Parts: sequence; C-alpha cells; structure tokens
Amino acid sequence: MSPPQSPPPASPPPASPPAGSPTRNPIAPLLESLNRDHLDPGYAEAAARKRAAAAGGPAPGPGRRPSRRLVLVVVGCVVAGGVLGVAASRTESNQTRAENTRMALREDIDRAQERQSAMESAATDLAEQLRASQAAAGAAGPVAEVTQLENQGQLTPVTGPGLRLVLNQPPAGQGQTNAVILDRDLQLLVNDLWAAGAEAISIGGVRLNTRSAIRQAGGAILVDNRPVFWPLTVEAIGNSSAMQVKFISSPSSGRFSSFAQLYGIEFDVSAQTDLRLPGGTAPEQRLAQPLSTPPTPTG
Amino acid sequence: MYAVIALIVGVVAGLLVHPTVPEWLAPYLPIAVIAALDAVFGGLRAKLDDIFDAKVFVVSFVANVLVAAFIVFLGDQLGVGTQLSTAVVVVLGIRIFGNAAAIRRHIFKA
Repeated sequence: MSPPQSPPPASPPPASPPAGSPTRNPIAPLLESLNRDHLDPGYAEAAARKRAAAAGGPAPGPGRRPSRRLVLVVVGCVVAGGVLGVAASRTESNQTRAENTRMALREDIDRAQERQSAMESAATDLAEQLRASQAAAGAAGPVAEVTQLENQGQLTPVTGPGLRLVLNQPPAGQGQTNAVILDRDLQLLVNDLWAAGAEAISIGGVRLNTRSAIRQAGGAILVDNRPVFWPLTVEAIGNSSAMQVKFISSPSSGRFSSFAQLYGIEFDVSAQTDLRLPGGTAPEQRLAQPLSTPPTPTG
Repeated sequence: MYAVIALIVGVVAGLLVHPTVPEWLAPYLPIAVIAALDAVFGGLRAKLDDIFDAKVFVVSFVANVLVAAFIVFLGDQLGVGTQLSTAVVVVLGIRIFGNAAAIRRHIFKA
C-alpha cells in the first residue's frame, strides 16, 4: 500500500498488456483503488504542483503565504473537532433521554399495577358488603348458595392449614448460568399439589382458579397474566400432613429436589397451620349463557 | 502543532457548548463525523508523507461532508438512505483504516 504519489519503482504497466495476451479482467478497478488509494489524490497533485513551481522559479506566487495556510488548517481542524464534539454530546444526551423514557414507562407500569391490585381489593370488599347486605335483606338461602358456588369456583378468600413451598432461581454467577426454573416445572408442581389433595392454591399471592394459566414471558413467570416475582411462594390449603406425604412422593417434588441438589435452586416445603389465600378473579364468560335462569335475579 | 490544538479546541467547544442540532440535520451528523475523521487522518498522513497542503485539506473535508450528506439525502428521498449511508461509511471507513495503517507504519516503522 504505497502512496500513489511515490515514484513507481517497478509498477506493473496496467494499461499496455503484453501483445497477444488479452487482459482477463485482473481485479475490479474499483476494489483495487479502494484497497490502494487511501489518501486523497489532491495531496499528491498539490505536492507535484509545488515541486514543479519550485523547479520553475524561486518566487512562485504571492497567494501561498504560510499564515494563510495556517489559518486554513486551524479553521478546518476546529470545524472537524467541533463535529466530533457535537456528535459526542448529542449521543450522550440521546442516551440519557432514552434512559429517562424507560424509567418513566416503568413507573407507569408500576402505578398501573398498583391501581389494579387496589381496584381488585376494592372489588372484593364491595362483594363482601353486597353479600352482607343481601344476607341482611333476608335473601339468606340463595345467597348462601351463591357463596358456596363462589367458594367452589375459587373466587372467595379462604383460610386453613396447608403447605407452603418457597422456590427461588439459582443464584447468578454460579457456573450453571443457564439453569432456570421454567413455567413447565411450576405447572407440574401445581398439578401434583392438586393431585395431593390441595383445595386452594396461590402462587406468589395470585389465587389459581379453574382456568388459571402459568406461563413464561422472558424471564418472568405470569400467573393469570399477572407477573409474580422470585422467590415464589406457593401456598396450598389442604390436610397438611396427608398432603405432605403424598406430595413428597410425587414426581415434581423429586424433580425440584434434584434441581436443588444439581443447580442450587431454593426449594423449601413446610407445613403451616393457618394459611390465608386471596380470592381469585372469575374467568370472563362472553358467549356462554346459563341454560336456566337463576332463581334470584342478579343483585 | 496548531492543528492538534485546534482539533482539541473544536472537540471541547462541541462538548461544552451543547448546541442543539436541528432535527433535519441529525441524520447527517454521523456521516459528517466519518468524513471529519477521514479528513483528519488523511491530513495527518499527508503531513507525515511531507506532502500536506492546507487547501487540499480544507477543500477535501468540506467537499466530502457535502457530498456524503447529499448522497444520504438523496438516498433518504429514494428510500435507500440506510444502504447509501452504509456505502459512505464503508468507503470512508476503508480510507480511514488505510490511512491509520500508513500513519502507524510511519511512526512505528512496523
């Protein structure tokens, strides 16, 4: 990669090939020049001009004063440096702006989630009041039936003895970096809890109803589309001693125990005498209509 | 020497003054940065080759910025702005790299 202005000592004649042998498209000239001519050819030309002028006479022209050249260089360098500085400051300010936007969005999400949980608890309270006033108004029989149905549908808060399971992901930076607890594992665990005789289950404070889904979105676990956070507390109400015996011998318990040994996840099972589980949200029914009208109109 | 001082002054001024770049000018700023780097490295190499010329330096810098911006502008109008920016960045990037290599050979003789 010699500068193109240097006198060619042994440059191959590119224009005149040896007679008889046609040039067979040696190298694409564009790529060749990209690879060779890094310096602006103007410099070489200017140098050649100067050399010719110096050879021609000692006093070439009045316009080439050194001070003027210096001013040109300084101005050019200031402009070039200014461009670099402006670009740097602009990149910086863009970064902070993006960060601010992200923070604001996260705050919005947090606020919306807080509002959601507040409204949910308000709805539960109102339902409680409604039931109480219905009972006071003398509609005790049907209301008791409704309460029982709601209880069966996992809609009312419940309390009782049961098991508490605490799960957590393996601590980061311990060799097995890609070992994570997946939604599949949680689904198996919950299924085994039901099979062991659980009557009500909540995961991370979200009560499971008959149509709850446990899914994964990125690194977060969603229970009924609500994110739950590690460490997860799974609470199951049921006959704690019988449930514990059954659950310990279930496949998912063995699965999680081996996870704990192999990957260092947290997995604690403890029997509790008094668990309190929140009420669940009723799955929405848009199209399904009941066959017979209920005995009491909705109130 | 003066050129280096002027460069530093320009960078510091750009960082301190925090000028607001108008939105229509923002897409051309990266191209201008690449062209400025190309001019600076080219000028440095020419200086080391003892063929530096102030007029060539300034004119090639300004012309490169304008042409590169025009190419990107045209590409934006035609819907191939990103591709043309890539072309400009590739060409100028190869030149920057080659000039930097030549400077390196001048300084370290290796």
